[in-house]
Amino acid sequence: MAERAQIAMTGAAGARRSSRVSLRHMLSSEHPLPWLFPVTAVLIAFGVYPLLYALWLSLHKRNPVTRLSVFDPDWNWLKIFGDERVWGAIGHTYLYTSVAIVIELMLGLAIAALLDSDRKGYGVLRALMTLPLVVPPAVTGMMFLLMLDGSFGVLSRTLYALGLWSPAYPILATANSAMFGILLADVWQWTPFMVLIMMAGLRALPKEPFEAAAIDGANAVQAFFKLTLPMLSRIIALAVLIRGVDLFRVYDYIKVMTEGGPGTATETLTAYAGTIYFKNADFPYASTIALLTLILLMVTSTIFIKIFKVKF
Amino acid sequence: MKQSLALRLLRDVTAVLVVGIFMFPLLWWGLTSFKPTSAIFNKDEVVFFDFEPTLVNYQVVLMGKSRAELAIQSGSTFGVGGASSYDSRQTIIDSIVVAIGSTILTVFAGVSAAYALSRMRFRGRQAYLNWILSQRFVPPIAIIVPVVFMFHYMGLRDTLLGLIFIHTLINVPLAVLLMKSFFDDVPVEIDEAAMLDGATRFQIFRKVVLPMVTGGVAATAVLCFVFSWTEFLLSLFLTNSIRTLPVKISTFVTSTGSEWGFISALGTSAIVPSFIFILLVQKQLVRGLTLGSLKE
Repeated sequence: MAERAQIAMTGAAGARRSSRVSLRHMLSSEHPLPWLFPVTAVLIAFGVYPLLYALWLSLHKRNPVTRLSVFDPDWNWLKIFGDERVWGAIGHTYLYTSVAIVIELMLGLAIAALLDSDRKGYGVLRALMTLPLVVPPAVTGMMFLLMLDGSFGVLSRTLYALGLWSPAYPILATANSAMFGILLADVWQWTPFMVLIMMAGLRALPKEPFEAAAIDGANAVQAFFKLTLPMLSRIIALAVLIRGVDLFRVYDYIKVMTEGGPGTATETLTAYAGTIYFKNADFPYASTIALLTLILLMVTSTIFIKIFKVKF
Repeated sequence: MKQSLALRLLRDVTAVLVVGIFMFPLLWWGLTSFKPTSAIFNKDEVVFFDFEPTLVNYQVVLMGKSRAELAIQSGSTFGVGGASSYDSRQTIIDSIVVAIGSTILTVFAGVSAAYALSRMRFRGRQAYLNWILSQRFVPPIAIIVPVVFMFHYMGLRDTLLGLIFIHTLINVPLAVLLMKSFFDDVPVEIDEAAMLDGATRFQIFRKVVLPMVTGGVAATAVLCFVFSWTEFLLSLFLTNSIRTLPVKISTFVTSTGSEWGFISALGTSAIVPSFIFILLVQKQLVRGLTLGSLKE
């Protein structure tokens, strides 16, 4: 009792001490709730609740003048079927994701094999290779926007000089090539992700099968396709899943490099939802497109996980 | 498998060349930030090193000098006009506050949850882990519109606190899964021994296990910092006046012509801290990028 009175008198510092006593009491039990509470609270308040709210928005028709919402699930969801830009965006999203994943995976494997050496200097090369990963993607978009500029960009100018591209068709301003410009930025930034993971996979491989294969007269190429690839399959599937999920929601490069243009040539689902939000201010429809993105992502990744038996 | 000298040399050259290609955009970006306008926008030839290096771009974005002021100083015509919107000092401070704030929250919440998930056996544990993992895969666009509404009513829109909360949300799954993998590396026998000595769960966590995973906590914190520092979409939707670095830089692109000198100077300033941090956690990078499921 005396201690309690003293705590009350010493104010803030005392109060903290008393709460620590009760916290310790709670934490001495085996109940996980106090430990999980902060994470659960953050995820429910800023993750789950907004998702349900988005669903609610998508099921309502909103009068922009009176700001009243009326329950009308057909309004937004049926609009999707008549909206050609949605179908274009779905196509662009899958195209972007699949092309990027194939290039990044193949380059990643090749570079990982190339840099996987204990000799002097290779450690530095590996460290340098990780640098693109931490450049803010918006800045990466800017870098390639500068280098691909139609009149003074260094990459464009090099392509012109080599006769590989005509100055009449600026890469990012031409519908057929704009997507490749954006993919270039993505490949530059994220191939190192694949390199790092594949390198970890290569390092973990057992030596014996390769020695046995070498004795049997297999060459390096045969060993790679018959031994390395099958043994890396679990890691490859994991890397493709993680990268694929992030590719599917690509936004930063598109926003800063083309804004989905020219026309709608590079408009992915996320970019289209952003356009509806910023330009049309049709918030329920933007939410509907965003939810459609989530649904497609869930279906695609679940199929992928089932086929390739990905385990975390 | 012995390699001949020629093959080894070929491999070395290829390796340097490949890494060189990947370093080129960074080199070009850095060079551009020191170039005068005339060298950046040269339409006759590509300027590599043949220019007078200048710090003007950095003076504008990092020291808040206006272009008019600099034009008078140097006596050159550098273009006139208010450049106050290119002053990015406040942006840098805001970005640091958001990144540090969200990192502290994320690590605090993530470490305690990860410890429970690693050590306690309770019903629904695996389901909870799956739930956390699934949260990592929700595209930010799916939640952003309601979050904007919510933050508007809560008074969190366009505030540093709001950004801290939302960056905490996107980093928490990573922090939990990554920290769990570090706790899993510590043998359970250590907890059991301490428990036999009469220590409570919290004492074991605080005094015994946590000190053994400080490297993991540091790696988690660095990754959370970097992901908050580089985040773009949520910050763009949630702010008008407060700007984080990536959003601020993107506003420098205009339809009438972009100020590439300022953009590259601020871009370079945004990249350098990331590089320093990432070189510090090289060893844990693979584990971090695969959410703790792959160890090197």
